[in-house]
Amino acid sequence: MRGGESEAGVTGWGEGQVVSVSRRQRGSGQYLVMGDESVPFLLDQGTTKTYQIPIAHLDYKFIEKCTDVKHLEKILRVLRSGEEGCYPELTLFCEKRIEHLDPRSRALRKDKPPATASDFTAEEWETINGELMSWVTEMNEDDKKPQFPGTLHERQDNLPPIRCSSSCLSANQNEKSQDKQRNKKNIPRDYSEWDKFDVEKECSKIDEGCEEKNSKARFFNRPSLPVIEKKIDTTGMTKKEKIFIANREKEKGNEAFASGDYVEAVTYYTRSISVIPTAAAYNNKAQAEIKLQNWDSALQDCEKVLDMEPGNVKALMRRATVHNQLQNYQTAIEDLNKVLCIEPGNAIAKKNLLEIEKKLKSLKPVSETQGKGKRILIQDIEDSEGDDERGENTEESERSSGDKKSGVPVRGEAAAGAAAMGNTHRKFHTKGDGSKAEDRETKKQSGLKKGTSEENPQKHLSDHEGEVNGYLHSYQRSETPKDEKISRSRGAGSQPVGDTSSTSLPPIAAKLKSEGNELFKSGQFGDAVLKYSEAIEYVIGLGEQSPDDLSILYSNRAACYLKEGNCSDCIQDCNRALELQPFSLKPLLRRAMAHESMERYRQAYIDYKTVLQIDSSIQAANDSANRITKTLIDQDGPSWREKLPPIPVVPVAAQLHRWDGGGFTSENNPRSTTDINREEQLQMNCEKAEEKFKTLKNEGNDFIKKGRYEEAANKYSECMKLNTKECTVYTNRALCYLKLCKYEEAKQDCDHVLQIEDSNIKAFYRRALAYKGLQNYQASVDDFKRVLLIDPDVLEAKRELEEVTQLLNFDNSAVAGGQQKQRKKITIQEVTDSDEQEERRFATSEDVTGDVASKETVQMNVPPQTSEKLHISEPANAYDFGQIINAVNTSKDKAACAELLTVTDPRKLPVLLSNKLEGEIFLLFIQSLKYYVVGKDPGLVYQHLFYLSKAERFKVVLALLSKNEKEQVHQLFDALSENQNHQYSWEDLESLKKVYEL
Amino acid sequence: MSSAGLERPQVVAHVQQPLHYTLFDCKWVPRSARLLCLGSAARGTGVLQLHELRGGRLVLLSEIEKAKPIKCGTFGATSLQQRYLATGDFGGNLNIWNLEAPEIPVYSVKGHKEIINSIDGVGGLGIGEGAPEIVTGSRDGTVKVWDPRQKDTPVANMEPVQGESKRDCWTVAFGNAYNQEERVVCAGYDNGDIKLFDLKTMSLRWETNIKNGVCSVEFDRKDVNMNKLVATSLEGKFHVFDMRTQHPTKGFASVSEKAQKSTIWQVRHLPQNRDIFMTSGGAGSLHLWKYEYPAQRSKKDSEGAEMGVAGSVSLLQNVTLSTQPISSLDWSPDKKGLCVCGAFDQTVRVLIVTKLNKV
Repeated sequence: MRGGESEAGVTGWGEGQVVSVSRRQRGSGQYLVMGDESVPFLLDQGTTKTYQIPIAHLDYKFIEKCTDVKHLEKILRVLRSGEEGCYPELTLFCEKRIEHLDPRSRALRKDKPPATASDFTAEEWETINGELMSWVTEMNEDDKKPQFPGTLHERQDNLPPIRCSSSCLSANQNEKSQDKQRNKKNIPRDYSEWDKFDVEKECSKIDEGCEEKNSKARFFNRPSLPVIEKKIDTTGMTKKEKIFIANREKEKGNEAFASGDYVEAVTYYTRSISVIPTAAAYNNKAQAEIKLQNWDSALQDCEKVLDMEPGNVKALMRRATVHNQLQNYQTAIEDLNKVLCIEPGNAIAKKNLLEIEKKLKSLKPVSETQGKGKRILIQDIEDSEGDDERGENTEESERSSGDKKSGVPVRGEAAAGAAAMGNTHRKFHTKGDGSKAEDRETKKQSGLKKGTSEENPQKHLSDHEGEVNGYLHSYQRSETPKDEKISRSRGAGSQPVGDTSSTSLPPIAAKLKSEGNELFKSGQFGDAVLKYSEAIEYVIGLGEQSPDDLSILYSNRAACYLKEGNCSDCIQDCNRALELQPFSLKPLLRRAMAHESMERYRQAYIDYKTVLQIDSSIQAANDSANRITKTLIDQDGPSWREKLPPIPVVPVAAQLHRWDGGGFTSENNPRSTTDINREEQLQMNCEKAEEKFKTLKNEGNDFIKKGRYEEAANKYSECMKLNTKECTVYTNRALCYLKLCKYEEAKQDCDHVLQIEDSNIKAFYRRALAYKGLQNYQASVDDFKRVLLIDPDVLEAKRELEEVTQLLNFDNSAVAGGQQKQRKKITIQEVTDSDEQEERRFATSEDVTGDVASKETVQMNVPPQTSEKLHISEPANAYDFGQIINAVNTSKDKAACAELLTVTDPRKLPVLLSNKLEGEIFLLFIQSLKYYVVGKDPGLVYQHLFYLSKAERFKVVLALLSKNEKEQVHQLFDALSENQNHQYSWEDLESLKKVYEL
Repeated sequence: MSSAGLERPQVVAHVQQPLHYTLFDCKWVPRSARLLCLGSAARGTGVLQLHELRGGRLVLLSEIEKAKPIKCGTFGATSLQQRYLATGDFGGNLNIWNLEAPEIPVYSVKGHKEIINSIDGVGGLGIGEGAPEIVTGSRDGTVKVWDPRQKDTPVANMEPVQGESKRDCWTVAFGNAYNQEERVVCAGYDNGDIKLFDLKTMSLRWETNIKNGVCSVEFDRKDVNMNKLVATSLEGKFHVFDMRTQHPTKGFASVSEKAQKSTIWQVRHLPQNRDIFMTSGGAGSLHLWKYEYPAQRSKKDSEGAEMGVAGSVSLLQNVTLSTQPISSLDWSPDKKGLCVCGAFDQTVRVLIVTKLNKV
């Protein structure tokens, strides 16, 4: 029994009286009305004094039956006061009754003393005290550490300016406010003045600076939404402070989550992550994203958590939820299985697993009820997860111990993965039949890839989602081109991997590689790394025979590193792969992802952009680039582009001309032709051009009004020749193309606009329509959402969004209907997979078979030693160039090199060389220029030397030249000055000499 | 009662330390296990004591005597590295002290004609974006905002119109400092007025009257988009305003709760969970509350304007520590559940609130 209760119960008559009187004197309204002072002391034995309750009500039976809480409370007060006598048992009974009826009744509140050791078990008491003690010790230790006097000044520099400092007060206000403002700082203003204050003006003055900075970011937000910085400036902070702030931001996120404001929650989690990335913050963010139904982001966050803590049950559960939503049931099941490996008793996991399996089974017959079932499931998961959300924080301390546990489950996980892989493997064998199983397989995979729809064939390149099946799929395929190379039938792809030893790789390396692939598929990334490393060493040991194969090995190892979360090694390997094979997609993508996860957004952005230059249709890269754009805008403000390192220009030959059939250049072509355009523009009278541009545009607009879209499109195209920067022309042409059902062209135009103006609402809207036309519903939905983000009031967009979402759902569930699409997809995949061995594609249509490409490759791979005379043609891309240079270099054939240099446009030299300029090559260039070219065409030599100095690694190479070699360069320059002609002046030469450090 | 009762948070009186002066305010020193007691000695001077929590007791580290009794203090506008204390005293002076060298203040201004009743800071300790600022509320009826980098004059000043009677300002609080521009000050007065000043637009954003003198106001967090505001009153009630949605005419939705039969002197939100707060009462009692959000935090009224919907408040725990009012309360920013309170019985108490995680 508690002290407080007994006290109330046992109070004597006299004391009780005092209490009740004093209550009346305090005089809260209720008491005054009820307890009229005029009531005689002994009025009626039938009722109580205070509330006139019949005495009969002070009875067990009555109290037991009474349901009126108010009345019971009165009875309780009477009983407690003791004015009708002291009945501790009855009082207690009455309390219980009230508690039963209304547990939160205020009458139950009693004064209580603070808890003491006796209120806890010995253990609890010990933990309470122990925790405090350890905290105190920790704090005292911290305190003794020296403070950081140096940082004080730094911090103050970062501070915002003092409010209303005189600088923001200018005199050109209207008269009334003038003297007010003059005095503002010194003379206090009163409330009414506060109201009269010209808010707008003052505001705009104060914020002038900031306004501009934020205008772009704000555009993305709704104006009413508060602008919260996504990143926290942590310069000058100590680690402790960072931890403190990261924690605080996460707590804010948790609170926002608890209040149902998920957008805000995501913002605060992002802020927390920007200070210190923690698994808990990512995990919570994932949950918030799930609530917002941002499946892609949620998936990424789960991946991040699992990278950090592979056995994190919550992350697995959440990822399963996301996969379920994205209809990747197989992967969802895998995740749930992993959960059950770790926590065999997890009821929610079991339940979800059952439901998903059911769904998977019912997937074959397309049923309308699927949607409903799904909905219920989401609710379930959300509720249950919502519950553990709160615990997230509190369990943090336990997590560390959880980590230790997770060592075991990982093995189980891998086993589960392997089992699942076995499944898919089997399915894979039946693929040739075009059965439903295969459809589902591919579908699952496509959903897996960041939720883009299956229309985007290339996205399996983005295997950073890296589910076992995904890898199985792509790697199985990656073998295919090699089979084709040795002119096997395409069916060979389904052969066991070990058979494909007859690539250009030496057998031992090939075997190591395929072992690596196998290990990778089964999720044993660490072991796979070892295998790949062995293979790489072996190949390197043989000499540089096959840069393409080596590049693949590096690229594969990079994939392993990426999966392991070892981003820096991943980047290194990607760099190596790209050195060997400039502009190959996979290493670029992997490097981009690694950069992104290391939060080097600029580099990631560059890589994604490069990927998009090579192939603009990789949805994953598109999405990521967009996402990073936003991050960068948040980070660097509107001038973020200026801070970017230059985006390498991809040689035209490295770009995939997928859409050539449409007769429209790919999006980056306008950029590469701008030089020509500029020249033309210069020649033309500028005014004239502008006029012409306007008339053309107007003509186009007129045609649109008349519904003659073809002519309109032509007019706009002419416009573009005059001015590539004008976005409206592109959006208008996109409209024409949309009307003409040329969706691909429309999309290209929109892409172009969005490159220039990344928040052009029309472009987003029209691209969304184009995607819809292309049946790429996911991308379409994304774009519509962006439209609505920019302006939530676009009704058409809302309507379209609904429609497309429906289509998307229908499309996802319509398994049987997608066969034709599937077939198309497969062809494209074949084509893109050939980029495993080389990026270069001569595809003019989608039907290009791998054979053509492989023949080309064979030609290229012919060892230079075998043919005495090299056939030199103009190299189309860095790869070609590299190949030829390698060949020339091994034979030290200066004549061939000179020939190569004569056919090569000097301006392209830096690009073609990419980062492969080496001392040997440099010397070869110098020698061949000296012996063969300088006499014929000194202008060209000058040009070459000039552009050579712009190449990457030039400085390094120069620094490493020996005296003898320097002498050769000197001789070349001497020769140049002897043969000087009008193409370069003496001053030019001198300055170039300086560049060459002569 | 037993099993259910133990699941609730419990309040443990960890240390009770009698003092020899009247205690007005007590504050944890951020990132430490030390606390400051501010008050008035019997001979009418100000006292500033620094205690350290050491194994179940408080050890007095230093005591400094100042000319005027010190009413209130805050660390809100200082950096974690400096940890300068800003105080307001009976003479209307705002001082900022370096506790390492407390002989002369690093900043001092005679800010008000009369006693400074309340002080709050923002922009320091990693809490609140934007400039570090201190707000003081005084009996002279003015509320002034100070920037420690600007000497002698406040950066903003809020006072009644000439001729209008001056109300005693009892409490001030910062809020809405979620980015560099936004910031509000909330002030409570002896006549029950609550005024919300928007420092960005320099306007009176909202005002209301809760009939009885406003003893304490606090935002649940200073550094988020205004979420909730708790205002406590003289007659034992407190009001929780949902500050997210402001209706053009009705203002902010609120829920009120009667905590005890005496003045609620102070309200303080748990720094680690904004939905939990503690009120300290005139009868020496403490109440721990939790705010629960409604299913929908806003709805449209008949004219289509957004209006807020208030949630509900539930009592988690209450304890009575003293017969005298508990005038000050402060949660440790570093250790969840650790708090200190000072009462007029000249005792400072360090409390541990358990099981706050499970709320």
